[in-house]
Amino acid sequence: MDEQLAPAAKRAARERNAFDMVVDRVWRFFCSTRVAVAEIAWVALLVLIGTLRQSSVPHWIGDNIPGTKGIVIRWLDWDVFHSFIFMISLAVLSVGIFIGGMLNRMPGMWQTIRNPTIRTTRGFLNGVTPAATVAAGTTPDGVIEAITAALKKKRYRVFTEKVGDATHLYADKNSLGQLGTYPFHLAMIIILAGGIVTAQWGFRELQFIVPEGGRLDVGHGTGLSVELVQFVDTYAQTGVPEDYRSDIVILKDGEPVKSGSITVNHPLSYENATVYQSSFGQAVQVRVTDANGNVILEDALPMMYQSLLNPDAPAARIDLLPVNASLVIIGPDSNPFNQPELDTLNVRSGEMWVQVRSNDLPAGTMPPAAIVAQGHAVTLDGVTVEFIREKRFSLMQVAYNPGIPIFIFGGIMLVAGLAAVFYFPLRRIRGIIEPAPDGGATGLIAPLAKRDWSGQQDFEHLMEQLKAEPAFTIEPKIGKDAEANSATPETDVSNDEGTA
Amino acid sequence: MEGLVKLSFYCFTAASVAMFAASLAYIFHAVGRVRVERQVLATSTGETVTSTHASFDRGSESAGRWATMLTAFAAVLSFFSVVARIGATKRGPYSNMYEFSLAFVFAILVMYLIFERKYATRQLGAIVLPIASGMAIYIWSLPNSLRESTELIPALQNNLMMTAHVSAAIFAYATFAVSFAAAVLYLVQDRKNLSWLPKKEMLDDIGYRAVTIGFPLLALVLILGSVWAHDAWGSYWSWDPKETAALVTWLIYGIYLHTRTLRGWRGSPSAIVLLIGFAAVIFTYYGNYFFGGLHAYGGV
Ligand code: HEM
Repeated sequence: MDEQLAPAAKRAARERNAFDMVVDRVWRFFCSTRVAVAEIAWVALLVLIGTLRQSSVPHWIGDNIPGTKGIVIRWLDWDVFHSFIFMISLAVLSVGIFIGGMLNRMPGMWQTIRNPTIRTTRGFLNGVTPAATVAAGTTPDGVIEAITAALKKKRYRVFTEKVGDATHLYADKNSLGQLGTYPFHLAMIIILAGGIVTAQWGFRELQFIVPEGGRLDVGHGTGLSVELVQFVDTYAQTGVPEDYRSDIVILKDGEPVKSGSITVNHPLSYENATVYQSSFGQAVQVRVTDANGNVILEDALPMMYQSLLNPDAPAARIDLLPVNASLVIIGPDSNPFNQPELDTLNVRSGEMWVQVRSNDLPAGTMPPAAIVAQGHAVTLDGVTVEFIREKRFSLMQVAYNPGIPIFIFGGIMLVAGLAAVFYFPLRRIRGIIEPAPDGGATGLIAPLAKRDWSGQQDFEHLMEQLKAEPAFTIEPKIGKDAEANSATPETDVSNDEGTA
Repeated sequence: MEGLVKLSFYCFTAASVAMFAASLAYIFHAVGRVRVERQVLATSTGETVTSTHASFDRGSESAGRWATMLTAFAAVLSFFSVVARIGATKRGPYSNMYEFSLAFVFAILVMYLIFERKYATRQLGAIVLPIASGMAIYIWSLPNSLRESTELIPALQNNLMMTAHVSAAIFAYATFAVSFAAAVLYLVQDRKNLSWLPKKEMLDDIGYRAVTIGFPLLALVLILGSVWAHDAWGSYWSWDPKETAALVTWLIYGIYLHTRTLRGWRGSPSAIVLLIGFAAVIFTYYGNYFFGGLHAYGGV
């Protein structure tokens, strides 16, 4: 039995070892700041590719650099921001942020906050510039007391530890500021989560078009519909719309539940749905009857298309299924000064150009068309189209955006966290004070500010201020040039400079 | 043009002149004096040998003081220019590239002066002021029609949010201009170590400190922009090119904040990341020229 078990246990141990190794590798991968740089750069590159796709740059490249046409066409086709690669990249980045930017740094940071290493070495202090020497006629304890009092006045926390007859000193300021990195790094994940929540549980209708007097269902299981009572717009002299608004009624299961006006920036909400004003345009109210007098269409058609027959005029198009044809209506030229030669239809104000295109019409045959004045009707191919009157339609958007509170929450966390890290920088000082041969006390103190010019500057200012203290004299250490600071090898003590 | 619009324009004109003069003075101050010495030596054999050698000196201090004065003058004038413009249009300076760029010039000058004072160094001005002057030239090149105060389309009429969004943007970009200048000087110092230019360590610090202001501000720009887009369109992020360009810029500065802590990436490589970051700022700023999209309606 034993002989049989032993190899199995060994194998299990080996497997566990392999498993641990893999976990360790993965963990270290995500902890590496180098990998983080690569991940952020990769996401930035994807965003850039997706951004440029909507610009004139790809066209320029395709036209000017030989042999790039193929790639440019694939580029223009690639919807980067909804691609699988992009999603995976964001997921990997989030895991990295969580493990490397947050979890892995926690123990080190916790230690600098709660339980910093107080002991240092003379070798370390000797190698640091700037530094300062301390001398006093009193005992080391007296000096420590005086320095502690002076540093506390400057909002430093001070810790001391006796090692032999020397006292080691550690002081720091803003040790909590670095915690801002948690809300900050976490906020990025929260914001992405907000995006996922919106995509998963929200909805957005971009083309919610309702003509005056019309009504449209919101769908998405809301049971809501929106009715446009009237549309009002005002213009500046220059022709730029000054303001426009839609007076709407929101209905639930056919019953009016809320009414109000919406303008851009001032939407109207009911339950989960919010109705936004987006744009507007012209609509045409028509009644279409077939050869037998049956009404096959009675509606306001938004004229939101452009026709090749006159690109400057609003056009509407709708299928007339019962007669196997489609109806095209084109309004008067809305910009007569722009390329007047394009206006071949000569539709005047108060008129519409109407065409009925039978699906059975042989190719190359021009479908019948006519110009109709408001209040009149015309019969084309047996179909009678009555132009009742002009109307307006409102282009609205209806959206449910459950991610927005999450997004705003994340945004506040992000900026506040950054402010804490950047504007409350950690400042640290180490020192050793010991009895001097002549009976007084002597010592050396120095900042932990390798490669941190501002930190060194702060230390020097602090020393200038401490010079005024009567209990001890403090002198900048001279004789070493400033390069020494960066030339010091990283000793075990200076290691806690980085929290990672 | 109505009175205030005119006043704004005249202030900007005067500010432009002051900025051009300040640029020259800063360059004169930063480049330093070049002295060529020629010596004629007689050798023991009776031949003579000439040797020349160039020595560089600290630039003229009075040029530096003049430069600072002119910059302060330009800052005050551009401030008046922006204020008069706001008075004329009754809204923040965001309705077109002309107004936005006026405010940007003001922000660059202010951020630069703050850094000049804090670090007691003037040489960065030799790079920042030409950038500000370049902006001024760009403003001069814009069509006259943008100088008139115009009506705004309704989407832009949300005053408070837009003003906050745009103010954060100009100050973010302005601090990035300062960090760009610090990075350029850093790269010069890394190769040449010129005694009269600021020390590398200080330039690295300036670059970093500028980013610690610009990075949160740009985050704020993206967030405020999104919240405003949500109010106007019901969607806080629609992958609009100008939004995404700003996001790329932000990510590049995020990369910088990591590389600066990495052994092997400190110093020059990080300074180069700052240069790339500023290139992205310029690209975002002039993005309107490349893109259609929701931001394209601000005139130009
Ligand atoms: C793979 C994901 C990430 C990892 C592993 C990571 C890791 C880290 C680490 C270890 C630090 C501390 C550096 C030091 O002071 O020694 C840091 C700082 C920082 N990171 Fe990240 N990070 C990640 C993603 C990001 C992203 C996407 C951004 C935003 C663009 C970002 C922005 C920052 C900033 C601004 C700091 C400096 C402030 C601070 O210490 O919190 N990080 N990150």
